[in-house]
Amino acid sequence: MMKKLSGARIVIEALIQENVKVIFGYPGGAVLPIYDELFKQNKIRHILVRHEQAAVHAAEGYARSTGKVGVVLVTSGPGATNTVTGLTDAMMDSVPVVCISGQVPTHMIGNDAFQEADIVGITRPCTKHNYLVKEISKLAESIHSAFHIAKNGRPGPVLVDIPKDIQTFETKYGGKKHTKSFAFYKPNIKPSLDTIVKFVNLLEESKKPIFYVGGGVINSGSRASLYLKKLLEITGFPCTQTLMGLGATPTSDDQFIGMLGMHGTYEANLSMNKSDLMICIGARFDDRITGKVSGFSPKSKKVHLDIDASSFNKSVNVDLLIQGDLSKILEMTLKYIENKRISFSKEKISAWWIQINKWRAKNCLNYENSKSIIKPQYALQRLDFLTKHLDPFITTEVGQHQMWAAQFLTFNKPKHWMTSGGLGTMGYGLPAAMGVQIAHPKDLVIDVAGEASILMNIQEMSTIKQYRLPVKIFILNNHYMGMVRQWQELLHGNRLSESYMDSLPDFVKLAESFGATGLRVSKPGEMDDLIKEMIKIKGSVICDVVVDPKENCFPMIPSGSSHDQMLLGPNDKLEGEISEEGMVLV
Amino acid sequence: MMTESHPKHILSIMVDNEPGVLARIVGLFSGRGYNIESLSVSEVDSDRFLSRVTVVTSGTKNIIDQIKAQVRKLIPVHNLIDITELKSFIGKELILMKLDIKQKTVLEIHKHIKNIGAKILFEDKTVIIVEFSGTPIEISSLIKKMKVYNIVELTRSGLVSMALGKDYIRR
Repeated sequence: MMKKLSGARIVIEALIQENVKVIFGYPGGAVLPIYDELFKQNKIRHILVRHEQAAVHAAEGYARSTGKVGVVLVTSGPGATNTVTGLTDAMMDSVPVVCISGQVPTHMIGNDAFQEADIVGITRPCTKHNYLVKEISKLAESIHSAFHIAKNGRPGPVLVDIPKDIQTFETKYGGKKHTKSFAFYKPNIKPSLDTIVKFVNLLEESKKPIFYVGGGVINSGSRASLYLKKLLEITGFPCTQTLMGLGATPTSDDQFIGMLGMHGTYEANLSMNKSDLMICIGARFDDRITGKVSGFSPKSKKVHLDIDASSFNKSVNVDLLIQGDLSKILEMTLKYIENKRISFSKEKISAWWIQINKWRAKNCLNYENSKSIIKPQYALQRLDFLTKHLDPFITTEVGQHQMWAAQFLTFNKPKHWMTSGGLGTMGYGLPAAMGVQIAHPKDLVIDVAGEASILMNIQEMSTIKQYRLPVKIFILNNHYMGMVRQWQELLHGNRLSESYMDSLPDFVKLAESFGATGLRVSKPGEMDDLIKEMIKIKGSVICDVVVDPKENCFPMIPSGSSHDQMLLGPNDKLEGEISEEGMVLV
Repeated sequence: MMTESHPKHILSIMVDNEPGVLARIVGLFSGRGYNIESLSVSEVDSDRFLSRVTVVTSGTKNIIDQIKAQVRKLIPVHNLIDITELKSFIGKELILMKLDIKQKTVLEIHKHIKNIGAKILFEDKTVIIVEFSGTPIEISSLIKKMKVYNIVELTRSGLVSMALGKDYIRR
């Protein structure tokens, strides 16, 4: 006979059934029964963060580097509201996260009770779905559904809010198999062969094709990456990747022509602009990618492969759309090509490659190096050169350093690049790196940071100390919120309103106070030694890399402009004023 | 963004009748800046706990397509059909109208009500409550006509709508 279990125990049992090994959380009054059950078992490891936002980012890092669901446990009220930024981040970047929050007991809900917040109401727009469990009989079903929803279709965060009385009530729990059917959510549509045929026909006809690859390929799993790599080989087409897509196929491939978008390469953006066939795979025509929509790739036919129907024709109309899991679509495409013995003539696209290589020759990522001051680009080039062989996991904060990292680092494997793309959350990188390090204890994990962003979740140094996480923090310290300053220089008459970072901590001493090693470098000649030492040190390291405070991030498509209106360097001037339309864009 | 020139769309949405489901739909519309011109919702299947929501909205084709795709993504949504895209359909609203009656007009009102096929639900010496169902245009014209009398208060439901022919909404 099935034994009756408390709600809190059912939560733990259900997590075990979902194969959860780690949860990131912070206890409080409304989740004490669950924490009590956590104490009594040893199958799930709990990582105590220092702020609930960091718990979600850590879960995101864990999820994005493993492909598994990241799990968060927080208390009601402030514990729950602190997760909102993290949940929104996971929503924007399609990261599977399940967040369990405590809630005041059911009879107190709506009474403005102590530490009560309507978290289901608050998170409705920033979760894929959420549940308020009002009856113990619905508890197991809600948790298993949450996992099912978080990881199927386009992944995303799901919140389960559990009132404290529900945690103490008892009911029978027969495991996942015996839990009432929850799986009517079946978003994985099988693409029709018709559309695959049309797709291959377009590939065959094109003289100026380009693959535009996004994070959806990484979310679809390693098979999708393999199939895409194969398709690239067969066709010989050029490939650009979005910020989220970096590493979907190796960025050291010759067919890879750099990231595209606002800070993308000249060759990638011009190829998009001049192409006759754009194949968008698991990306969503974000405003950072398209620039001015009316000037976006005006002459190309556009194909869009995605699992999410709401991404189709949202900002850019496409000619052929194929909905489904990308690995399935790509597999069917390859099979069709193989069965029909279709071969792609490299001659047909040779003129296109000549053109692309001309653009490439511009060497748009070039910068003026210095012997006396460290250029941030140089620091990252050296970091890349000296760590590439270790296939490091890279996380970032948000700003100039993030764009430089995207431009200058090599990503040869998927799931090795964790950055806040959609939401642009400063403070993401450090907690995300913790989550990655927990999942990959033996690997090199580096948070490429700026001195402003890192302070937004610096309290997590305490978590890093507690769990002896050897996370390396590589701060490009320019004493400015660099991207803010760059926009102020470009668009606001160089009035640097509040973007200077005064009163910074001594990062070396800060590292030491948390039991980590602090290293500082300010001369280009000492860069390599610093990086080598950082790798050698077993524990966590904060590297304070003092860089040129005035360096800006190029290439750049100013807001409201299109791909063929790029600024390639500091000496490139804007053509006329930025339009009023452009000024209001973010 | 949305002007009168865009045709109206009647969306019929079958959803799980659970707490918060209407908030999800309404929140999606307000959060993404879509327009709701009329809304009605009620449980239609008590065995399967299903409610049917009818939303009247307007926008360019791209916006309407986006609305449908976004609504379909909501987990409690089982099915959505755009009734205006089907061959023919019926759309009705219900109105309740309370009229102030004076001795002089009561006979005239009675006659009027009979003519238009409305129903009297309540009547005493001071007021009369009338029920009428019809297309939005018919209802608006009824209100206009009745303005010559003294309308004390009125309430009208959102549109409910159904396509002719087979069952489109259940899969």
